[in-house]
Parts: sequence; C-alpha cells; structure tokens
Amino acid sequence: MNIRLKLAAVFLPLGLIIAAVPENTTKAYKLTAEELLVEAQEGAQFMSTDEIADMLVQKDPSFQLIDVRAQNEFEKFHLPNAINIPISEILSEDWADVLDQDVKMNVFYSNGTLKANEAWMITRQLGFNNNYVLQGGLNYWIETILNPTAPASTSPDEEIAKYDFRKGAGMALGGASVSTTSATTSSSPMPAVKKKKKKKRAAGGC
Amino acid sequence: MGPLVVNEIISPDTNLFLAFLIGIGFGFVLESSGFSSSRKLAGMFYGYDTTVLKVFFTAAITALLGMLFFSLFGWVDLSLIYINPTFLHSAIVGGVIMGAGFIMGGFCPGTAFCAISIGKLDALAFIGGLFIGIVAFTEGYPMFEELYKAEFMGTPTINEFLGLSRGLFSFGLIAAAFGMFWVGEWAEKKFPREEY
Repeated sequence: MNIRLKLAAVFLPLGLIIAAVPENTTKAYKLTAEELLVEAQEGAQFMSTDEIADMLVQKDPSFQLIDVRAQNEFEKFHLPNAINIPISEILSEDWADVLDQDVKMNVFYSNGTLKANEAWMITRQLGFNNNYVLQGGLNYWIETILNPTAPASTSPDEEIAKYDFRKGAGMALGGASVSTTSATTSSSPMPAVKKKKKKKRAAGGC
Repeated sequence: MGPLVVNEIISPDTNLFLAFLIGIGFGFVLESSGFSSSRKLAGMFYGYDTTVLKVFFTAAITALLGMLFFSLFGWVDLSLIYINPTFLHSAIVGGVIMGAGFIMGGFCPGTAFCAISIGKLDALAFIGGLFIGIVAFTEGYPMFEELYKAEFMGTPTINEFLGLSRGLFSFGLIAAAFGMFWVGEWAEKKFPREEY
C-alpha cells in the first residue's frame, strides 16, 4: 500500500466527518451565567466619575459617552459629546458599528446605573468589547463632579486634592457655580486613568 | 481556548518564542526534505518532481482538518483567526509575478533562506532579487497604490462564495488534493529525469 493510499485512508474519512457534522457556531466569548455574575460582582465594567471627568477635560478622543435614557431626557440634559442610544434601540443594526468595535471605549450612563448596566450586560453577552458603565450614573456625576461637597479642613490631603480636581473639572464641564474656595484648582493630581487592553485578531501570514 | 495570543493565554513574547521554535523546525524539515535544491521546486513545473505539491497540499489539508476539528471541540474560535484580506487585482498580479519567480529562480522565499543557510549561491542571488523587488515596490508604492488597493473584497472564503458549508467544501478540497497527488505521480512517471 503506497503512502498516498494510506494518507487518503486517514484524511478522507475525517473529511467526511467534518462534512457531515454541523459547524460549531457556539461563540466562545459568550459568557455563562456564572461568568457574568463574577464580572458584575467585580464591577469591572465601572468607570469612576473622576476618570470620565478627567478624560472629558483632556478631550480624550479614545472614548465615547453613550446616554441610554430616552430621547426626551437626553435632550433636556446630557454630558458633553455624549450620543443617545435609548436602551430599547440597543440591538438595532444602526448602532452595531458604535457598540461592536475595537477602537473606542464606550461608556454607558443613565440616571442611576440600572439602565446603563442593562446595556452593558446585553453588549457583554453579545461579545462586544470596550463597553463600560459610568459608576453611579448621572446622579453621582452631579453629586461628585458638578456639586462636590467640600471635605472638612481636617481631611487628608488626597481628599482635598480630589475635591479640587472635581471642582475644576465641574467648572470646565460647565456645571458648578464658580466659587473661590480654593485657588489650587489645576495643580491637583489627576486620578489615574487605566487603559483597558483590547482584543485583536491574531495576525499572521505566509 | 484558542487562539492563544488573542485570548491572552500566552503573551505576544511567548508567541514570538513559539514562532521561533516552529520556524526552526520548519526550516529543518524543509532542508532535510531537499527543498533547498532549486531543481526540486522547478521540477513541479516540468512535472518530474511534484514533491512540492504533495508536501504543501498535505500540510494544507492537515491544518484544515485540524482547525475544523478544534473548532468542533470548542478548542479554537475560528472567528478570531486572521484571514488575509483579498484585493483581487493585486492578488492576481502578485500571483503571476510570484509564480514566474518560482519557475525562474527555483525557490520560494522560505526555501531560499533554507538554501542560503547551507551556502547556496543561487539562493544568494535569489534573495538579492527579493530585496531589489521589495525596495522597488516600497519606493515606487505611490505608482502601484491604485492597483494595490483595487477590488477590495474583505475576507471572502471560497465556501461562502459557492454557498457550501465549511465542512463540505473541506471534504471536496481533500478529495481534490488526493486527485492532484495522483496526477502528480502520474506526471513523475511520464516526465522522469535521471539526475537532478
């Protein structure tokens, strides 16, 4: 028996099996309920208001705010440069390019975190990367960035620095009334923005 | 769960290291199978030696079956595997140039580097030509850009084009490969050469 026949005896039956079985269409990235629970409990999807404020002030082009509230709420008030994708339209083809991409970081927000989290869960389960949630939503944004409460004068330095940063960011982003509690608005240390890693296709070639 | 580097099971550095080991293995097998002789490759076109066809098609169908079975067992996510995008016109022109170079030079880039590692002068000339070609293309890129980017088709696959399932097309390809092996061996008997 020559080698060609031997090879054929192995390859052709294997080929037949492959031709006969249906393709495996289960997406590996689809999370199980347990995995999603772990992620949700870890809070890996949350971006703090400070991080977002910092990126907005610095006009960071690598992220996109997405307002998942209804359109009339969006028109009344929304964060700078945010786009409106009401949660009911999250599965629409029109938004697939925005939600499923590797370039920008999307940050969902709603009044609280409920709707934004829903949007995150749906997109996460679809296997889209780069979607995050604004921690605490707009309510917390207003509380921390637009109307930060001044810490007691005996607070640690970091607290005061954080307050100064928030005050400055709030002013830059067109919120809080300008008051002169502190002169050191811009010298405050910025909260570190952690860049999340992106998933790319494996590159290759001959 | 593959692909390893995309799913961050191994780092890009480990990936490079594995590529290095596989590359050494590949080069070793190429050399020891006699691929560093330009006559072996040229024989493909004259019909006296079809080892090239047999080796590379065996490699292709082995990899094909491997990937499909891995996908079937859930070991690899095929949607994350890189597919070289198709630019139709440049693929045709490039294929013709590469094929002509193959016949005239008797090497493909991989075997040329194999051959130069054992000190073959024809391989040295071949690699010289390869570098001249790379420089000419790179420097003349604005001239070729229009052709280079014409007819972009994304990443089509033949089975999608034919409307067949991946498995069925693979079976057809395997059958076709064995058909070609048979033709190849027939050609080897038909156009034999004593010494090459």
